[in-house]
Amino acid sequence: MNAWVGVILRVDLAAKTIEREPLNMKDAHDFVGARGLATKYFCDEVDPNVEPLSPQNKLIYMTGPLTGTGAASGGRFEVVAKAPLTGTIGAANAGGYFGPELKYAGYDGIIFENASDKPVYLYINDDVVELRDAWGLWGKSVYETTDLLIAECGESFKVSCIGPTGENGCLFSGVLNDKHRAAGRGGMGAVMGSKKLKAVAVRGTGSVNVARPVEFMDALVDARQKLKEHPVGGTGLAVFGTQVLVNIINESGALPTHNWRDGGYFPEADATGGESLADNYLVKNKGCFGCSIDCARVTRVPDGPFKSEGEGPEYEAGWSYGANCGVSDLAAICKASFLCNEYGMDPITLGATIACAMELSEMGAIPESDVGFKLRFGDPHAIVNLTEMVGKNEGFGKTLALGSYRMAEMYGHPELSMSVKKQEMPAYDGRAVQGMALEYATSNRGGCHVRGYMTSPEILGVPIKVDPLVTEGKASLLKLFQDLTALIDSLGVCLFTTFGLGLPELAAQYKHAVGTDETDEEILLKGERIWNIEKHFNIAAGVEKDTLPPRLLREALPSGPAAGKVAELHAMLGEYYELRGWDADGVPTDLKNKELGLANEA
Amino acid sequence: MKLKFFATYRTIANCMEREISAPGDVWSLLQALAEEYGAQMRAKLFTPDGGDIGMDAIILVNGMNVAHLKGKSTELSEGDTVAIFPMVAGG
Ligand code: SF4
Repeated sequence: MNAWVGVILRVDLAAKTIEREPLNMKDAHDFVGARGLATKYFCDEVDPNVEPLSPQNKLIYMTGPLTGTGAASGGRFEVVAKAPLTGTIGAANAGGYFGPELKYAGYDGIIFENASDKPVYLYINDDVVELRDAWGLWGKSVYETTDLLIAECGESFKVSCIGPTGENGCLFSGVLNDKHRAAGRGGMGAVMGSKKLKAVAVRGTGSVNVARPVEFMDALVDARQKLKEHPVGGTGLAVFGTQVLVNIINESGALPTHNWRDGGYFPEADATGGESLADNYLVKNKGCFGCSIDCARVTRVPDGPFKSEGEGPEYEAGWSYGANCGVSDLAAICKASFLCNEYGMDPITLGATIACAMELSEMGAIPESDVGFKLRFGDPHAIVNLTEMVGKNEGFGKTLALGSYRMAEMYGHPELSMSVKKQEMPAYDGRAVQGMALEYATSNRGGCHVRGYMTSPEILGVPIKVDPLVTEGKASLLKLFQDLTALIDSLGVCLFTTFGLGLPELAAQYKHAVGTDETDEEILLKGERIWNIEKHFNIAAGVEKDTLPPRLLREALPSGPAAGKVAELHAMLGEYYELRGWDADGVPTDLKNKELGLANEA
Repeated sequence: MKLKFFATYRTIANCMEREISAPGDVWSLLQALAEEYGAQMRAKLFTPDGGDIGMDAIILVNGMNVAHLKGKSTELSEGDTVAIFPMVAGG
């Protein structure tokens, strides 16, 4: 079987049965793999109105056709379930080494059904697959769980697991593998915890074949060379990591500060940027399976009140705890972000939820007695202490664990949650980067930057330079980027390859791996099909319409290049729906469904 | 006017920011910087033929990319802030 192993594991956690079934090759062809394929399985098997934390929700791990093949940055996999934070389809992507190992063990994916009555983990050692008792792991952090499982199973095992926050139902808990790589957003960890599934430990000694080895190797060499030659993929990310974005976004007036209240410029941003991280705390950079970009940071705060070590922070986490909370102490930001990995939760949502709580506290909407101390913007101790409280499910941490929307609603101000479909928007102000505004509003998993990444053309000028302040042309570019990122996630390669590779290079690796002669356009159409099936699920699940928090639509930025601007969503949304072949309410038309072969999904 | 260097430009110039008197336009500023900091700066700022702003240089004037202003002919005056970045990415 080319690029695939051809086997899916189906694990019923209630009945404690494990079955092997053949991979649905038609769906693998039409929905590529990973994100797309898992979503197709999910939509076929699960009622869109399922309660996300009920046993009837399913949790799917899925690799892509390029995962583990040696394709450039091809070590990724997807975790899919209905997301408890948003109620949308939840799809979270992770790198590291776990995905390829699963394939080498002989499985393209795992479908978890129902819920166990006691904590278990799934042990996979090639063809030995067992559900094992996990009482000894319950309550343990991601790091402890990983170490304990490696000690129990063996050095060569790769571990994907949840931390205590997943067990406690924190709505933005993630599933982490190789300790530091996260399928982070939307609460996949809470779904796993609700099933009493603590971890998957896998070891595989097999390999993956490709259809045309010689041509595949040529495509791979070409892709790697192009990545190496590109200023970003070659050395840029390796030297400064993703946190290097802080300064350019800040200088562009697009770094949201103080829960998006005070404009897009944070005067102390430089102290929190990638340059400062490299100067003060960077130990070394490292990478995921098959990756030459090596963007990950191993970092250590050697002393002081925030003494800690770990990996990261990535730009989004650095912003959510930094400028968004008005905090300029990089050591505190590092520690808070390390704690998120340790307890297994999404730092973007948590940092943004703390920022929202800071604003509500300053307004007097959250009483000091609820938090336990006087909560104000700019307090580095607050971000660390509150993160610890969510991790331990203590005090005000229990409220923060609901995410900003539910928390702000409890205190009478849902409009101050800077979220879309209840998921917090990340680190680019849509008033200063108009395409990002459209991207947030239309993202199929709520506020998110990796469902398109319009910042790339609008701020970084890759692959073309477009003016961030205008709305013209954004709808068509975003549609292309959304379809392309859906395709890339589904292939099993890292989105960062787009800093160096385009559709032709990605499609070439895919074609020679699976053995297809489809055109690049036909392959990109699969990305569009994936985008549309996600949309169908969300419509059937009754997810709210595409819009933005009122602050972005009504409160103009006070200064900087975008002074006086709001997010001009109305100027882009209609055109976007039209280009997508959807009606004025954002529902795919029969014609579009037919074109994409999704008539049954509608 | 204020001149700010970031990422690799900061390393090459060994400077975070400084005040300078405004040259006529962006092109004159970049020429002066290449003159002052030498070959490494020149290689990053310009296209290989030396005729335009290079791929690895993002020049912001008051937060706006010169690509969306008047490119290398964007005028500079006292009170402006110029920020120079290599091509960076993240997310
Ligand atoms: S670019 Fe970074 S996140 Fe992507 S595969 Fe490489 S190391 Fe992992």
